[in-house]
Amino acid sequence: MIRDRKKEALVAFILILPFLSIYSLIFVYPTIDMFLLSFTDAPLIGKGEWVGLENYTRLPNDRRFDTAFWNTAYFVLLSVIPGTFVALAIALGISRLQGRLQAIVLALFFLPYILPVSVVYRLWDWTLNFQFGIAMHLFDLMGIDRVPIFKVTGWFMPAVAMVTVWWTSGFSILLFLAGLRSIPNEIYEAASLDNTNRWTLFRRITWPLLWPVTALVLTIQLILQLKIFDQVYLFSVGGRPNDNLVMVYYIYQRAFVSNDGGRAAAIAIVLFIIVIIVSVLNFQLMRFAEKRS
Amino acid sequence: MADISLQNISKSFGAVEVISGLSLDVHSGEFVVFLGPSGSGKSTVLRMIAGLESIDSGTLLIDGKVSQDLAPGQRNVAMVFQNYALYPHMTVRENMAFGLKNIRLAPDEIKRRVEEAAHVLEISALLDRKPAQLSGGQRQRVAIGRAIVKEPAALLFDEPLSNLDAALRVRTRVELAELHQRMKSTMIYVTHDQTEAMTLGDRIVILNNCKIEQIGTPLEVYNTPATKFVASFIGSPAMNFLSGTTSQGKTGANFVTSDGLTLETNIALSNFGAFELGIRPEAIRISDTADGLPAHVRVVERLGDRTLVYAVLPDGTQIVAQDSGRSGVQTGDKVHLTFDPSQVVLFDAEGKAHHS
Repeated sequence: MIRDRKKEALVAFILILPFLSIYSLIFVYPTIDMFLLSFTDAPLIGKGEWVGLENYTRLPNDRRFDTAFWNTAYFVLLSVIPGTFVALAIALGISRLQGRLQAIVLALFFLPYILPVSVVYRLWDWTLNFQFGIAMHLFDLMGIDRVPIFKVTGWFMPAVAMVTVWWTSGFSILLFLAGLRSIPNEIYEAASLDNTNRWTLFRRITWPLLWPVTALVLTIQLILQLKIFDQVYLFSVGGRPNDNLVMVYYIYQRAFVSNDGGRAAAIAIVLFIIVIIVSVLNFQLMRFAEKRS
Repeated sequence: MADISLQNISKSFGAVEVISGLSLDVHSGEFVVFLGPSGSGKSTVLRMIAGLESIDSGTLLIDGKVSQDLAPGQRNVAMVFQNYALYPHMTVRENMAFGLKNIRLAPDEIKRRVEEAAHVLEISALLDRKPAQLSGGQRQRVAIGRAIVKEPAALLFDEPLSNLDAALRVRTRVELAELHQRMKSTMIYVTHDQTEAMTLGDRIVILNNCKIEQIGTPLEVYNTPATKFVASFIGSPAMNFLSGTTSQGKTGANFVTSDGLTLETNIALSNFGAFELGIRPEAIRISDTADGLPAHVRVVERLGDRTLVYAVLPDGTQIVAQDSGRSGVQTGDKVHLTFDPSQVVLFDAEGKAHHS
């Protein structure tokens, strides 16, 4: 078939034009503008003076930035790795079920994922509230002292991480289930003829064949959890927001509370770079591990 | 190397009975082929022997040991799957060694067995590759290698050649026959390809509709098919069938075609009535004289060594006859066909064959 390359290119361009214009308008342009903003002392709205790298150089000595950075790292550690393993374990369990029961159980585990964060907050506040929480009544029954979980710094991040795992693991379970289904049944049949016990089957067959999905789940979770904000914001209400700061929360504080558009932009750029580095690094590490195994 | 005995085996999937009351003895060192169309239950029987499908009732003896309730790995059988089912993340060596490591065989012994099998199958150079880096034929060999390193009581093959191209299939078929001669192991082989069955099997078990139609050597099932199904399934081009009726003749039954022509046979029948006459293409002679069935030649296929003549009888029955390579028959010719009486088979209304 003879094709008119010029005409094809034109048609292709016209077809992607709507996407390209919207993407440029609401992603590329604001990103560049924010990058420029981070070198000024602009307030939230309006222009500011050029201050060079000052917004960046003051970050190492910014105690609140320090708190936000380490809290975010701590939260990622507490949510991403346990979340991935919990999802894998649940997916393995669900994959053993059959037919309608499997669909029902999967739906139950997926349900939290479709809830808005405000509902998640309400549910867990009712559960873990110091005065009225259901969990506290259980604590009383078991003779354990009540803990104001969201008011104590040491409890806050683990609790929010746990809630986040509960909230977001449905999607990871779905990905793991898809991965499990893509392993041909014949492989398992061959393994059963090869005298494989259940643990060896998981360690030598299922887990290695599921590795690409695991890498995907870890990367998605990593990017998602580095951007943690809503849960921390909601659970901090009436608590100690400054101790529980995370990166996006600090950006919000700088921009919308302190009216420091320039400084907020600088922190946002730092987070942006961290997300890129960590996710690329994670993906490369995964690929390396996969090759080696 | 062991005997395998299936005694009155039955199996249902839900309300559908897929195998009922099947009995079969496979002798030690024998190459038995299960042949049948898709849905005939041949793979199910193989998978029941392997332990991949449960057996609802009946007894399975492997090497004299009651095995129907044993896990697949404990039956001492190995299987080669249609899609090979190699472990994609393991090298060829790891694939072959996996089952041996699971039974905690000594590492030297594993190494010895893997290298010996690789040598036999000519895959020694591929031991450190992964399945994705191998061609279809090479994967096939690895799958066979993974089965033979276990030194099993029996090797089971589930349509192992169906994913190979035609030329490779013929070559691998010959190699499988050689492998069987060398190893003298019990092999059960499932296929829907009659050529594979005829060339490989010591005995062929022909299945249809989840029942055994006939068990016999390749020549037995070809020359004396037990049923019309077997007669039509084995042989290429297929056996010709003419419908008509029978009556008592001088030497045996007389067959009267629907056109009223009488063919004398020497087949003894106890009942007469509506029958079908079966005759293989190579048992039909195209005569230049006026005796035999008149036929009209529609198509002539010249294959070099032989000529296939597609003709139509006056009642519309299609007949394929085989003539010599230098046959002078032309499309459109009016010819007469005579049948070798010793090779005529009569099938009664139930499809049961009657031979002379």
